[in-house]
Amino acid sequence: MNAIEIDDLHKIYRSKTGTVHALGGVSFQVPQGMIYGLLGPNGAGKSTLVRILSTITSPTSGRATVLGCDVVRQPLATRRQLVVVLQHTASENLLTVRDNLLIYAYLHGVGPSAARQRMNSVVEEFELGALLRTTVQELSDGTKRRIQVAKIFMLDSPLMILDEATTGMDPLMKRRVLDRLRAEARKGRTILLTTQVLSEAEELCESIMILNKGRAMASGTLQELRALSTQMFRVSLTFADSAAGLVDRLQTLSPSDLQVNGRSVEMVFQGEEASLLGKLADISRDVPIVQFEVRGPTLEEIFLSLVEKAK
Amino acid sequence: MNAITAVFYRDYRQRITNAGFLLWYLLVPLAYLLLFGLGFALLLGGELTVAVQHIGYTAFLLPGILAMVTFTVALNTSWGFFMDKDSGIFYELLTFPITRQQLLIGKIGFNVLVSVIGSLLAIAVAVFAMGVEIRFDLLPVTALAVVGTTAGWFFLFGIFAIRLNRMDSFNTLTSAAYILLMFLSTMFYPLDGLPAWFRAASLLNPMTWQVDLLRFSLLGTGDPSVLVMEAVAFTIFSAICLALAVHALNRVA
Repeated sequence: MNAIEIDDLHKIYRSKTGTVHALGGVSFQVPQGMIYGLLGPNGAGKSTLVRILSTITSPTSGRATVLGCDVVRQPLATRRQLVVVLQHTASENLLTVRDNLLIYAYLHGVGPSAARQRMNSVVEEFELGALLRTTVQELSDGTKRRIQVAKIFMLDSPLMILDEATTGMDPLMKRRVLDRLRAEARKGRTILLTTQVLSEAEELCESIMILNKGRAMASGTLQELRALSTQMFRVSLTFADSAAGLVDRLQTLSPSDLQVNGRSVEMVFQGEEASLLGKLADISRDVPIVQFEVRGPTLEEIFLSLVEKAK
Repeated sequence: MNAITAVFYRDYRQRITNAGFLLWYLLVPLAYLLLFGLGFALLLGGELTVAVQHIGYTAFLLPGILAMVTFTVALNTSWGFFMDKDSGIFYELLTFPITRQQLLIGKIGFNVLVSVIGSLLAIAVAVFAMGVEIRFDLLPVTALAVVGTTAGWFFLFGIFAIRLNRMDSFNTLTSAAYILLMFLSTMFYPLDGLPAWFRAASLLNPMTWQVDLLRFSLLGTGDPSVLVMEAVAFTIFSAICLALAVHALNRVA
């Protein structure tokens, strides 16, 4: 059984100002134990998808199941399978950090002694010990976010949904969360991650879907997405010296991105590799190249290229 | 932990962070009782006739004060939805493995206790400080009426608190409802002698049903056949409001 199955999901929001097709026929499956990434610009439909999966809102049409539970017909059974970190900060501002953690567990059916036991390890892992008796409204947004993420580790639900969960976290804590998520996936928990930090998805996700304007533009493993972007490659060069007019000559090669740092150059190209290499060979006759490397595109480059194409 | 108990505990922890607010809940009805009770009793100078029984104005007012307690507690509890929306926890709560009914019932659970305590305080002041005679044998019925009607009003205001995005719209709407429901009922005066349209409107007002039931349980006044109908009507009203509040929670965009 797949952890998530989405079939031709549509969501239309109607308001006084008009109609918005937030999702326009999205389909995908996520096997159990996988870290699956949903990428897309603002308004792509990622959060709508998260809200449907977590039963906050219903789809206009189509079907979504979580571990076999239909999100519309079996909302309670669905909610028993998952924990969610929503995009916006969610914390009990009037309560202490301790109450936030304990009440979260209680509301998920955990008993007081089990909740306290689990809280101790979460508090240690997320460095919340000194803040336990502090009221959350006194804390910074970053710390509130840390508590929001820490809460989901109070439970062992088989599906974890994180909607841009690491936004606002300091780099060390972010690293710790990503490592922990990887460890949870190894234990068999499924993780659905939406993010705009593409390096995060590249590092963590085994499979990725790129959404734009409510539609799936591409999906697959990073390798499969790279294959979609054939004729797109990144070239790193180091010239023997930074000769005058070098940048102008490189610009004539029409790179989609060009970064020059002294003698080092990073370029992204779309086109025939052989043709480009020939042109670079011409340049190297005048300014020798001492180091040369060609790589596939990064996820960010694939993403930008797909979104640009869609425009 | 059981879902309703967990929501109950959450509200309890939130409420006790503001002891002043709790105190306000309890003192406002007492202030009404003392000021209105004494003031109007002196002004009217005599007794009112309710369902052929003669009772003093303070006694007449006491059930209205209890209705006011339930109404205020319900209103402030539903206002808590706005605080939950502000903190973002409202949407997170909807992803928890609890039904929408459990969420609403748990949320009013602790506040029903506040209502009961507030009502007992008002009764104690009325009886021991103002000489009102009440039916102690019917106190359990009074308690039941306070619990049920607090929940009913909360479900009503919950619909608007869930559906409206603006707190000022909610405040305007509930203030208007507060005035209309209170003054278009038997809370402050008997309906005898009032214009026919006023009496008709009052008889359709759930506040009238509530006050009549409380007046019966506290003072033993009222026509039993009418009271049964009013009890049934308030129960149906509460059930419809609960269903609509659940529907509103299910339709959060």
